[in-house]
Amino acid sequence: MKMKICLLLVVLSAGCSKKSNTVPVAVLDAPAYFKVDAASAGSISGKVKFAGPRPRPQLINMEEDPACVMAHAGKAYDESLVVDAHGALGNAFVYISRGLEGKNFETPTTPVVIDQRGCWFRPRLLGLQTGQTFKIVNSDPVTHNIHPMAMVNREWNHSQGPGDDPMTRRFIKPEIMIPVKCNIHSWMHAYIGVLDHPYFAVTKDDGSFEIKNLPAGTYTISIWQEKLGTQEQQITVAAQTNATANFTYKGKS
Amino acid sequence: MFFRPWVVSMTMAAVLLIVCDGCRSHVQDKPIGQSVSIPIPLGLPPLPLPRDNPPTADAVALGRALFYDKHLSQDDSLSCSSCHNPQTYFTDGQRLSKGLGGLSLRNAPTVMNAAYLPFQFWDGRALTLEEQAASPIADPLEMNQPHNVSVKKIAANGEYKAMFVETFGSDDVTIGRIENALASFERTLLSGNSAFDRYQYGGDQTALTISQARGLAVFLDPNKGNCASCHTVRPHDALFTDGKFHNTGEGVGDLDQFSDIGRYHETKVKTDTGAFKTPTLRNVAHTAPYMHDGRLKTLKEVVDFYAGGGNSNLYLDPEMKKIHLNGTDREDLVAFMQSLTGEMPPNVGPPGKK
Repeated sequence: MKMKICLLLVVLSAGCSKKSNTVPVAVLDAPAYFKVDAASAGSISGKVKFAGPRPRPQLINMEEDPACVMAHAGKAYDESLVVDAHGALGNAFVYISRGLEGKNFETPTTPVVIDQRGCWFRPRLLGLQTGQTFKIVNSDPVTHNIHPMAMVNREWNHSQGPGDDPMTRRFIKPEIMIPVKCNIHSWMHAYIGVLDHPYFAVTKDDGSFEIKNLPAGTYTISIWQEKLGTQEQQITVAAQTNATANFTYKGKS
Repeated sequence: MFFRPWVVSMTMAAVLLIVCDGCRSHVQDKPIGQSVSIPIPLGLPPLPLPRDNPPTADAVALGRALFYDKHLSQDDSLSCSSCHNPQTYFTDGQRLSKGLGGLSLRNAPTVMNAAYLPFQFWDGRALTLEEQAASPIADPLEMNQPHNVSVKKIAANGEYKAMFVETFGSDDVTIGRIENALASFERTLLSGNSAFDRYQYGGDQTALTISQARGLAVFLDPNKGNCASCHTVRPHDALFTDGKFHNTGEGVGDLDQFSDIGRYHETKVKTDTGAFKTPTLRNVAHTAPYMHDGRLKTLKEVVDFYAGGGNSNLYLDPEMKKIHLNGTDREDLVAFMQSLTGEMPPNVGPPGKK
């Protein structure tokens, strides 16, 4: 009993002494972010090709919602596999999948925006960092319901009417790729890549991509395309140089 | 010193009587005279009537006068009808109603057929029309007038003297009498005999268009619209509401937060967070905008909202399951809801008018 009282006194007095101390005692360590030294950083660029026959444009039927037919003002074609006349593949997601372990990158403060426009998601493919603001806009005169079907992150869906304010969400964990649909318009699809680092890119219409400011080292670079699946390759990046990583998807024979 | 038990109890009873006497006025709030028979339009069930407030002809007439009387607001600018306007089926057509304290927090619901509902207000904070009636009068956001002031202003108006005598047997004005008279008037605000009612309950197969009839089928089908799981349709009548509270996700913000917690405000039950009373769909084509926050402007937007499964959140109602509606289904549902416009009963406009 006496022991307990003594202990109590010790605790109490400790409490008192802490109170009189003006220095905050419970400060969490600020996360130590990895800073890239530009002098030792390099880049990766490349081109992505599709070797199979160029797919024929498929008309999308938007009759489910006449307002979409009008909003789109013209014919709408499927965009799940877009190949140009030279076999270049746009809309593929390229990212560093291994080699950055243990590095903690700061979350960008700029939001990544997806717009529901012409009854499409724009862009169809996007990447963002964990915790980065994902801003959702509806520019259409119709209601949309964005539904990221996440498996690692939380799945959610939310309706946005014409003229509604943009809304924001975040994805907390890395996830490749989150398929997004519109619950109201069955043809609307988008894909989101969430990474805990900034080294990702979406190929342009000419199949090109570039990943800049990457610390020198050896990495696995991966590519994902919604119809064609994934590929990867090893690549070594030296300081102040550009390494090339080209990918080719074979067409179905 | 000992008291005999009966002396004690008698004394206590006397004290209680005095205490009760102090808090209750002698004035009877129950109308005198015979209850009138309120005609029930096709498609509506028998009307429940409270024993302590039978709708007499005088009470209904008094309630009607009070309903349109702007003296029930602080600066004599608003009456009940300001937000419950007969021209828009006893709503105000605004997203949020404008009261004396600025914009109210919710969309004004219709008063029509409210007499059937087990709960009043979007969050059900009143159980009866009587309980509901005086609340917006005193609400700082709405008519912003304490009850004692309302009583004084009504008592000072000579035109009411005879009406109170005829209705209650004396010219005393109390807030209870005002509530009872307003509730009696509101019990006459019944709307039915719509094209849907003539089709469904009146045997008139031509009352609905082909699209509307298809829409009705989608509305009732649990595997299609599943609308009737909350907007009730029964074999002999339809209120198009279950009178209960559901979370559709409307009003949920980032991180699953509800700026308006709805039914939770009353029950403190977590799963009631963001749940609001199912509104009736009768006359819905004329009561835009929609939802408790008035966010949806058109019936198409409402159908699209449900076609999308509402908004996900922790307390989403299980009936908000994913529904499958093709373009025709959606158009048909909108057409069907346009068949729910019913008749307006007589003698419900401002006194002196039809």
